[in-house]
Amino acid sequence: MSVLEGGKISGRQFMAVLTMVRLVPVTLVFSMVTSASNPQDAWIASIISGVVAIPFAMLIARLSLKFPEKTIIEYSQIILGPVLGKLVGLVFLWFSIQTSVNIIRALGEAYAIAIMPETPIQTFMIMLAIMSCYAARSGLEVLSRLGEDTLFIVGFIFLVACVLPYNAMRLENLLPVLAKGMSSLIPPVVASLGYYSQFIMIGMLVPYLAKPEEATKYAIYAVLISGFLTTAGCVSVVAALGTTANSWTLPLFSLARLISLGEFFERIEAGIMAAWTLSTGIKLALFLWAISVGIAQLFNLKRYEPLVFPLAAVFIPLALVAFESMVDLEDYLSKADAVAAVIIAVAVIALLYVGLGVRSFLFPGKEKYR
Amino acid sequence: MKPWCILRAAATVLLVLAVISSAGCWSRREIQEIGFALLIGLDHAAEEGKVMITVHIAKPFSLLAAGAGTAEEKAYWQVSSTGRTVFDAWRNLRQQSPRRPFLHHSRFIVFGEEFARSGIREALDFFYREGEVRETNFVVVAKGAKASEFVWGEYELEPMPSRGALGVIKQVAQELSTIVMVTLNDFLQMMEAEGIEAVASRAEQVWRPPSQDPRGQLKNEVIAVSGRETGAAAFKGDKLAGWLDKVQARGLQWVRGKVRSGILLIEQPGKENKLASIEILRATSTVTPKISEGRPSIQLKVDAVGVIGEVQEYLDPMASEEIWASMERRMAEAIRHEIEAALDIAKHEFNSDIFGFGAAFARRYPKEWDGLKRKWDEEFPKLDVEIEVKTIIRRSGLTRRSMQLVRRKEEV
Repeated sequence: MSVLEGGKISGRQFMAVLTMVRLVPVTLVFSMVTSASNPQDAWIASIISGVVAIPFAMLIARLSLKFPEKTIIEYSQIILGPVLGKLVGLVFLWFSIQTSVNIIRALGEAYAIAIMPETPIQTFMIMLAIMSCYAARSGLEVLSRLGEDTLFIVGFIFLVACVLPYNAMRLENLLPVLAKGMSSLIPPVVASLGYYSQFIMIGMLVPYLAKPEEATKYAIYAVLISGFLTTAGCVSVVAALGTTANSWTLPLFSLARLISLGEFFERIEAGIMAAWTLSTGIKLALFLWAISVGIAQLFNLKRYEPLVFPLAAVFIPLALVAFESMVDLEDYLSKADAVAAVIIAVAVIALLYVGLGVRSFLFPGKEKYR
Repeated sequence: MKPWCILRAAATVLLVLAVISSAGCWSRREIQEIGFALLIGLDHAAEEGKVMITVHIAKPFSLLAAGAGTAEEKAYWQVSSTGRTVFDAWRNLRQQSPRRPFLHHSRFIVFGEEFARSGIREALDFFYREGEVRETNFVVVAKGAKASEFVWGEYELEPMPSRGALGVIKQVAQELSTIVMVTLNDFLQMMEAEGIEAVASRAEQVWRPPSQDPRGQLKNEVIAVSGRETGAAAFKGDKLAGWLDKVQARGLQWVRGKVRSGILLIEQPGKENKLASIEILRATSTVTPKISEGRPSIQLKVDAVGVIGEVQEYLDPMASEEIWASMERRMAEAIRHEIEAALDIAKHEFNSDIFGFGAAFARRYPKEWDGLKRKWDEEFPKLDVEIEVKTIIRRSGLTRRSMQLVRRKEEV
């Protein structure tokens, strides 16, 4: 039992924060739509990546369940030994830091593009970071409860945005299916899997579950819920925006701009902005918490809370200098980052499983590591 | 003090400063500093190579007065501005407007005929990039006028021309179906997609000579210029190719399956020169592309349901089954006539696939379309369109048999 974090979270809260992890920035830039040469098939890519992500999520959860009281930082050191294990921990932290930097910048860009073009982007980033820091310092329990409540709001807003522009939707826009062959699906599937690979965060959360044995079940639920929301988004975006779908910077936002019910219920795209802000806030809080706890565990610190604000203070300049422009960010997110994320996640999991196999071969009868 | 505490204090101060500096809303817009633009029109400016935009900006104070029924002045301000690009012209408007013009509430994008004929691709980018213009704006092309002239038109019952035009367009689209109602989102998709050419609403200027009849006038006020919104503007690429009149526009709407309602006039069976008005209740269409022996063809099925709305001569549908069936046949014939009128002008005059037949091939035969699209300009005018119209007349209103008013009186 770690002394760093005493909180316990329920399975549903676990599922909610994982869903948040997946929802941004994928619904922001919609890489499945924008990186595809033919956006009609984005929904297929979304489903395929979801199907692939389920066994991936199960593998991480199963691995963590072999050490139900240890985080991925701790058990990688048990499995691979102190040197290689710490290295894996560092890779995990680096990956998480990169993700945090991406989402801070992505949300800032979304604000600057969509509603407040003249305001300096730092404003949004700093405010987001402060909000998330407070959530992260309050501990996992608080931020998970926040995540559980927010998921309903965010899910509701996304569904409303996907359903209400029905006036503008034409389902024949989804045809022809797979006009450019299966190979055209590879970039969007990889882009989507890049976001799913952030589910490696399960490794940090399992030891704090009240009932760790539920981890696999709720991880799969998280894949299904987030997969459903993004697939619904893909279908609606393509049905309503047609061939122009992959020319919009923020497809979901442009989709919400089309909502007009009886000349009364319209101009509700600020709701989308709110949903993005909430989900990015929760995700950033979770990542800040995980990175702080990870660093504390890696370097044997007694408390993680003092790390949160400095980390955020580093992330903001990083987010500012890492990308030249929104185009740069989108290009990075849908290409390099996606590929790197998949490789890192798969390599870490594979390495840990191989290590586990070697250990049980060398020291039979010691499968329990409690 | 420990160094740790200093760091912490410094960080806190920094963050507090950040919060204070961003206090309030940076990009705030106070409502009394905004001029709401209600429509935006595009023309060539008098100077070579410049565009001219025309907007109507609402005057909130006189709008209130108009509500009270004491309008002495127009409820809007029409202003034009020029620039090398649309954005340039839009920003140049600041030189004339004491309030910041705001396009979020605009309802129309109006293109002047001359401007539309010379191509609009360059001008369109502003409308979907800048973000102030909603994709739900309607796209209208003014026939025989500049956009800046067309928007002079005022409408009775509405103080704002934009609301007046919107009302007319909605009425025509719902009750007559003789106009195409195209939002910017639809328009962009039609422009971008392969195998379909764009259409937009057609609008004309109507000049009314000042009336000499003083009856019932408290004040000598008449609207001299008004607008009439019917028909469609057909594009080829980004250039205006020509106009569809009311009949042709409804023909297009039959193919697109967008006919909501309308009146079809048919000759009453067995009665010469007497008309029956069939009210269209609803209609659907199916476009099935076919490729046989390398030759593309289209099978078009239209299903329409109508009711008898009016007959000019005695009608007793119970007298023989043939009467009802004959009216349905004539209704189908009338619909086919409208579709053929639209097909004819699109194929032979514009050579512009406004029906999206090419897009239907692209969906159904993506591989064959790859070869077809290169020679679509030659193929489209030769395209066989097999039209099948199925009509059902459901009801005959509150009357089953006509009353024999005239005959009875003659007998007396």
